Amino acid sequence: MKVTTQTMPLREVAHSRSGEKGNDSMVSVIAYDINDYAVLLEQVTIEAVRAVYGPITKGVIRRYEVPLIGALNFVMTDVLEGGRSRTLAFEESGKALSSLMLTLPLNMPADYIGRSIAVKRAA
Amino acid sequence: MAQKKTGKTIRLGSAAGWSRDRFEPATDLMNRGNVNYLCFDSMSEVTMSAAQVSRMETDRVPPYDPYLLPRMEPILKTCKEKGIKIITNQGWLDPEEAAQQVAALAIKLGIKDLRVASVSGGILTNTIGTMGLDFIETGKPIAESLDTVVSAEAYLGAQGIVDALKGGADVVITTRIADACLYLGPLAYEFDWSFDDYQLMAKGMVIGHLMECGSQLSGGYFCDPGYKDVPDLANVGNPIAEVSDDRVLLSKLSNSGGVVSEATCKEQLLYEVGDPANYICPDCIVDFTKVSFKQVGQDLVEAFADQAGKSKTPTLKALVGLTEGFMTEEMVIFAGPGALERAKCTQDLLEQRFQKVALQATEIRFDYLGINGVHRESSPAPVHEPYEVILRVAVKTAERSEAEKIRREIDPLAVNGMSATGKWATSAPGSRVRPVVGLSSCLVPRELIHSTVSFY
Repeated sequence: MKVTTQTMPLREVAHSRSGEKGNDSMVSVIAYDINDYAVLLEQVTIEAVRAVYGPITKGVIRRYEVPLIGALNFVMTDVLEGGRSRTLAFEESGKALSSLMLTLPLNMPADYIGRSIAVKRAA
Repeated sequence: MAQKKTGKTIRLGSAAGWSRDRFEPATDLMNRGNVNYLCFDSMSEVTMSAAQVSRMETDRVPPYDPYLLPRMEPILKTCKEKGIKIITNQGWLDPEEAAQQVAALAIKLGIKDLRVASVSGGILTNTIGTMGLDFIETGKPIAESLDTVVSAEAYLGAQGIVDALKGGADVVITTRIADACLYLGPLAYEFDWSFDDYQLMAKGMVIGHLMECGSQLSGGYFCDPGYKDVPDLANVGNPIAEVSDDRVLLSKLSNSGGVVSEATCKEQLLYEVGDPANYICPDCIVDFTKVSFKQVGQDLVEAFADQAGKSKTPTLKALVGLTEGFMTEEMVIFAGPGALERAKCTQDLLEQRFQKVALQATEIRFDYLGINGVHRESSPAPVHEPYEVILRVAVKTAERSEAEKIRREIDPLAVNGMSATGKWATSAPGSRVRPVVGLSSCLVPRELIHSTVSFY
């Protein structure tokens, strides 16, 4: 059977930035190519994100759509062990949480060129 | 009614993105940025409560940002000569005192006729418990926590900055305001925007939101080698917003490192935003889903934010700092064969010792740095035995004396612990115990908050 899809980490399709307010962390997911926004909508679901962030998220996970810039915005509540002012976590700012999002696996077409290959080719 | 055209072009430079950001961008933007304003953000959520706690421990700490005068001294004279105005929220707990100090600095530097304004109000430390308000997070009345309140302050809007500039201020020093208002203020003043026009308020807040974190718009906090490369990050140039009646252009200091692209702008647009369609600010609600970007040149992006406003809410957000005991942390270091096993055995040993010394902790946390110190329980299990492991223990206690017990158990591991136990910062004197000031928030009716502007 011909393989028509490949699994690759979200890092090959989108970039991400994270920050915090109180005990919540906000993590954006932004398509490098706005044409891939549909893939994000379909595959970067709350369930998929919970599979990655679930073990540290004590509250709920919310997803917001920002189609004009091809992005999703996630809010994980109660994820910072009390927030910067109270947390015992070693990384207290949530600023390192975006790299966790980028591990999320995506099913992409077999001929899809991921970001790292595209960057190498452009160089 | 259409907004009257001014024919103006105003350039705002982001001189600092937080209290301990670099000093050079202010001087560089002043010398080479062709800017009309230098804006300094010096606050994170914890800034005011941390300053209050420092003041409780020693009165040698000023009630304003200790970096205020060091940041102003190298730029004050030239800014005055060039007509560059300075907007900063470094006034913290006492913007009046901060403004007097800057006015005195101007005299010392021989600067004539420098007009310094303070924007104060919004500090509610002594009144927050009597307003009948509840915490957003728990729904519980603030009055029940009255004994533990050490700080409370509302986020003010941009009106005070506009009034200060109308009064002829060269330097405006504020207490807590919404960070983006450091940029909305001068824009509303220059373009004569009405505070009733939510579309214009939102446009200013979008610009401010993009600019307030310094180089996070121009290549800082962005580089992921092989995926998102950033040239010459060590010499990153801070961003500049060029605003005219019809256009918003985002760029950075010329001949500097970094990058301004649609991607950097998109990342910063959503930074620390919850619901992007409803970002609640003092002077409006911003709908970030209506904002878009277009690359129009190298390191030059046009932002479109003309229809992103909704009317403001009847309340202002306030942060309340609460004393919640003490915390401390210690680390023990392992490497080579059996490193992880020796770290785990050390955790077991410490747990036994904590029992033996009857440690009264409200929370104890063990982390294995190199394995799960950052993404915590969401970290994948290690595939290989790690070469190095650092065992970290952190505790929270009600009493300082209980927290002090941790180092008294860690230091002896030098002779009583596992084989090849490495230590960290053993010669650092004193205690690593620090007070915990937890932050909670509430919504305060606008009519209970009064802002004042003074000139020096």
